[in-house]
Amino acid sequence: MTDLVQALPPRLLGSEPPPAPWTARLRARPWGGWALGTFVVAYLIWSLAPVLIAFLFSFNAGHSRSVWQGFSTEWWTGPGSVFNNPLYFDAILHSFLLAGIAVVVSVPLGVSLAVFLGRWRGVATRPASLLATLPLVVPELVLALALFFLVTKLLHFVSVGTPGQVVGQVTYILPLVIVVTRGRLASIPSGFEEAALDLGASPVGAFRLVLVPLLAPAILASAIVAFAVSIDDFVITQYMSSSSSTQSVPMVIYNSTRGSASPALNASAMVMAVTTIVICGLGYLVYRAVNRRESIVFPQASIEPAPIGPALREGMV
Amino acid sequence: MVGGQVEIVSLTKSFDDVTAVDGIDLHIPSGEFFSIVGPSGCGKTTTLRMIAGFEEPDAGRIVLDGVDMQHTPPYKRNVNTVFQAYMIFPHLNVYDNIAFGLRRRRTSKAEVKRLVGAILELVQLGQLAERKPSQLSGGQQQRVALARALVLNPAVLLLDEPLGALDAKLRKQLQIELKALQQQVGITFVYVTHDQEEALTMSDRIAVMNNGRVEQVATPRDVYDEPATRFVADFLGVSNLIRAQALGAQAGACRLQVGDFELSAQHGIRDLRGPVTCLVRPERVRLEPYESGGENRIPAIVERVVFLGHSVQVIVRLAVGQPVVAMVQNTGDRFPYAQGTTVQAHLPADALRVLGSDDAQAGPAPDVLTADARLPPTPPDDQSSPELAPEPTIGDGRND
Repeated sequence: MTDLVQALPPRLLGSEPPPAPWTARLRARPWGGWALGTFVVAYLIWSLAPVLIAFLFSFNAGHSRSVWQGFSTEWWTGPGSVFNNPLYFDAILHSFLLAGIAVVVSVPLGVSLAVFLGRWRGVATRPASLLATLPLVVPELVLALALFFLVTKLLHFVSVGTPGQVVGQVTYILPLVIVVTRGRLASIPSGFEEAALDLGASPVGAFRLVLVPLLAPAILASAIVAFAVSIDDFVITQYMSSSSSTQSVPMVIYNSTRGSASPALNASAMVMAVTTIVICGLGYLVYRAVNRRESIVFPQASIEPAPIGPALREGMV
Repeated sequence: MVGGQVEIVSLTKSFDDVTAVDGIDLHIPSGEFFSIVGPSGCGKTTTLRMIAGFEEPDAGRIVLDGVDMQHTPPYKRNVNTVFQAYMIFPHLNVYDNIAFGLRRRRTSKAEVKRLVGAILELVQLGQLAERKPSQLSGGQQQRVALARALVLNPAVLLLDEPLGALDAKLRKQLQIELKALQQQVGITFVYVTHDQEEALTMSDRIAVMNNGRVEQVATPRDVYDEPATRFVADFLGVSNLIRAQALGAQAGACRLQVGDFELSAQHGIRDLRGPVTCLVRPERVRLEPYESGGENRIPAIVERVVFLGHSVQVIVRLAVGQPVVAMVQNTGDRFPYAQGTTVQAHLPADALRVLGSDDAQAGPAPDVLTADARLPPTPPDDQSSPELAPEPTIGDGRND
């Protein structure tokens, strides 16, 4: 009788088994426990601490960016501060100008290219898709060199400076937009466009009224990516710049770290970081809202049952 | 109802090196419920897509109400489609989905409201206008897809397996509704399905397609009762296909030799000689006591009795080795023959149809898909006369 009671699962006896000790839980999931946790915390400290320290030094009372001399807000509000020093403030404005233009140009262009590459059925579809994404793997420096040559020697209607920087950044960002958009496009059956055509929409109408709304999450995501990449870009922006008036924040930071820059530099870097995080964060919130609102369940392409006759025949033999 | 007449002339379409549609001709008069049935890959959907304008024919013409559609893009054809997976726009609610086509025509706001309201009533979705497609059941989505196309009052409505994604009970209900709706609106329906039963239930006429060709176009009754080819007989309904030796016509019937037994067949091609295939539907096969005698009877042994509720499916093996399926209506009496009983299988002369000479019917044997797929192979005792070695060719048509 005792054997029988012990053989039954505890649930049936009405009593839960005692909770396992923490050592047992750890043995069951070693990576879910302290090891992984420690690793994550260590990584976060390693990657964020320098940023926080740089942020802190923008409040230094002295002129040094490495020796703490007391707390002050002079590099944020004073006469030599980030907002009063034209070098830093112009660079911030220029960075945002470039990022804005890059988003406005590369997203519509990239989405159209992605739709064309994704929906076009022709002999050159595959090579064209490959070529369109090639800039992703070409080193940025090589791309910058090539573009610089192109703009200075061949395309004289594009001057170095802001136009050259926009052309360069857009060239660099387009493949990212294409990749992000095509990922989403692949999950949208072409039947939606056919349905739109069937109901009387022109091809342009089908694109505008059906495909663009369905691609909205990808369009938002690629806009965020384009903005972040543009703000962050150094190599191409540097190559295509003309004078100090077309310096972006990364360029100013790079050029002045070796010199005797004031903590206003740290402040300008922080302005960029915080604004970028806020803008990308807002973009992400909109992206999530769009995604949740739709909760699209795409239909399956084919619902005809698979042929079972041959399989049955084989089973019989 | 004016318009809605479809004329298809030697339509051909290939994909790479596969011929999907191989020179078909169809004439669909105005207001007809016309079905195209056939197994997967027979070209039925490609035909429909060419009528809609999504595929361009390699050769042939599609004429809609006297106008050649060759250079008309899909958005300018007075034809609308109900897609297999509905393709209701997921970012629009039910109302906006149905209004989509009307707005493309620049219909006034008040008129859109009136027409959408009317069609919502017609398909019984009045209270769901604000819903998003993801909040609808499969049957409701199907109705939205139908309403979205019907609201434009097309000359022809194309339906591509519209009930394919629904469960069996809902299918049956919607089949009846769809047929009633078609009669109410009077629009020409071109309905593509691989489900032969669905086609038989709803259609005015059926085209049976196989390998890109049309095998037969006729009313449901005619394709079932008078199939033109062995493929049609096998695809529509359960068929017993019996190989026999035709001995020529006699008194308006065809004399057939099956093993040691003689049968007479009153239908089909009666003046043939040589190996032929003939058809008898399971519901026409009668099972009688072994002692009974008479014309068109072959002794048989009951191999399997399957109770289906409304009827009893009996598989008997004829003395010549051929299995035959018989459907016996459930009339309340107990089925008198147990497994292993010997009986007389009565294949009435007016139920036997000669489908044609076996040489003309060359091709792979139809798939075997019956309640009993484990029938032992035919004993090889009649190899001397291969035309009398019938293989178990019983298909129910849904084996695609």
